[in-house]
Amino acid sequence: MTLRLEMTKLKRTGYLPAFLGGAVLASAFPLINMLVRPETFTSMPGDPFDILMDANWQMMAMLNILVSICGACMMYHAEYADNGAQKMDVLPIHPGSIFLGKSVIAGLILAMMTAMEILVLTGCALHWFTAYEPDAAELLENLLKNILFQWTAALPTVVLMLAIASACKNMWVSLGVGVILVFTIFIFPQDNPVLSLFPFSSPYQTLATAAENDRVLLFLGVCAAEVPAFIVLELIYQKIRRCTE
Amino acid sequence: MNIIETKNLTKTYGDFTAVSHLNLHIRKGSVYGFLGPNGAGKSTTMKMFLGLTRPTEGSFRIDGKAYPSDRVSILKEVGSFIEAPAFYGNLTGEENLEIIRQILGLPKSSVRDALELVGLSQFRKRLAKKYSLGMKQRLGLAGALIGRPPILILDEPTNGLDPVGIHEIRTLIKSLPQQFDCTVLVSSHLLSEVELMADDIGILNHGRLLFEGTMEDLRAGAHEAGFPTDNLEDTFLAMIDEDNRKRGGKR
Repeated sequence: MTLRLEMTKLKRTGYLPAFLGGAVLASAFPLINMLVRPETFTSMPGDPFDILMDANWQMMAMLNILVSICGACMMYHAEYADNGAQKMDVLPIHPGSIFLGKSVIAGLILAMMTAMEILVLTGCALHWFTAYEPDAAELLENLLKNILFQWTAALPTVVLMLAIASACKNMWVSLGVGVILVFTIFIFPQDNPVLSLFPFSSPYQTLATAAENDRVLLFLGVCAAEVPAFIVLELIYQKIRRCTE
Repeated sequence: MNIIETKNLTKTYGDFTAVSHLNLHIRKGSVYGFLGPNGAGKSTTMKMFLGLTRPTEGSFRIDGKAYPSDRVSILKEVGSFIEAPAFYGNLTGEENLEIIRQILGLPKSSVRDALELVGLSQFRKRLAKKYSLGMKQRLGLAGALIGRPPILILDEPTNGLDPVGIHEIRTLIKSLPQQFDCTVLVSSHLLSEVELMADDIGILNHGRLLFEGTMEDLRAGAHEAGFPTDNLEDTFLAMIDEDNRKRGGKR
């Protein structure tokens, strides 16, 4: 029921069109890259899919994060703009269920975005790299592994951003905090193995790079642990806010 | 039998006491007018009843249930409207009530009933953010009345309504205990308004309860204390002035 309610609340907010637009824009990036300078990539040695991921994923991940930040701000702006959140507080539902519902929706939308982008990258590899002819099972396995890895790596960022948006009644504050966090990671060394595990940094990692450094399980484990940790923190924050209001 | 009872209910913010050792007794099936000037602590008390803010001291029971252990159970029985209308501006009036209906697990017809009750049926498909102030107020009331809860907590429900709207809502509130067998706690800073709809009244000033009882008790008490009794507005003002004078302007 919570999911249905949360979906209803998103009506006319521009949430779904924003994600669709973001996914199309991010997917268009490798396509344009390949249309404009195919030889740059086709002449490179190595696995075609990994070549395209290395060349495009940084920009695609940044677009995904920016769209997720906007999405989180939109979700909570709808709650705070006309005091809808206050009405929810006086109805017999657990306050945490609203956050969980929003997290599930944001997570599902992120999964769809990631899947669309990985599919486009695979399509580019198949179309432009003539020597790239994996069998169907191998292709499917590669697709699923990459979608799962990139989705898991980005999920903590999405949940943390939702927690930030829930704490800020003014949408512009949460948007500003999100954008600052996106650009903060560039101040730190990009190859730092610890920093790369943090939200806003982990979505830039690719499965190929993680596998090369033998850190796939570490990444998946840390990101999978970060998500419930942020949810618990949000629930604690909600309790504290109720006590101090 | 009292459906709402408070025991030394207190709320402080730092060194400011918003509500001080409040002992309210609200009879089941009555309209209880909660009266006081702006900043007297009416909204804070109502917010405590709804779990929006935690009491610093003291306790309260609503229909025998205590906060915070029975918070969800209390909220199932209470329809509320606090301070300003709360809604989702991107949804229509009908969609807003539909959300509340689903949370409360009410039949689909309850949305139509609530809209009819507050006179918003013809505007049900309009976005809530495009409603006039009076219509938003009515939507807030519909959100409180949906499902006919046994307890209604209404904080200044006629704010922003035109005289006709005020009269309609006042008549509606007055009729609720008989129509739906419910108890209404309604706040206002206008005695003249409360006088027309309440069975019992409680007068609050600087967080302290100055009076609790029926209108007749108020008149008798005011007469005894030497306050004017011809006009209840004057009685109320004299009581507040007297209390402020005794306190020497301290909060």
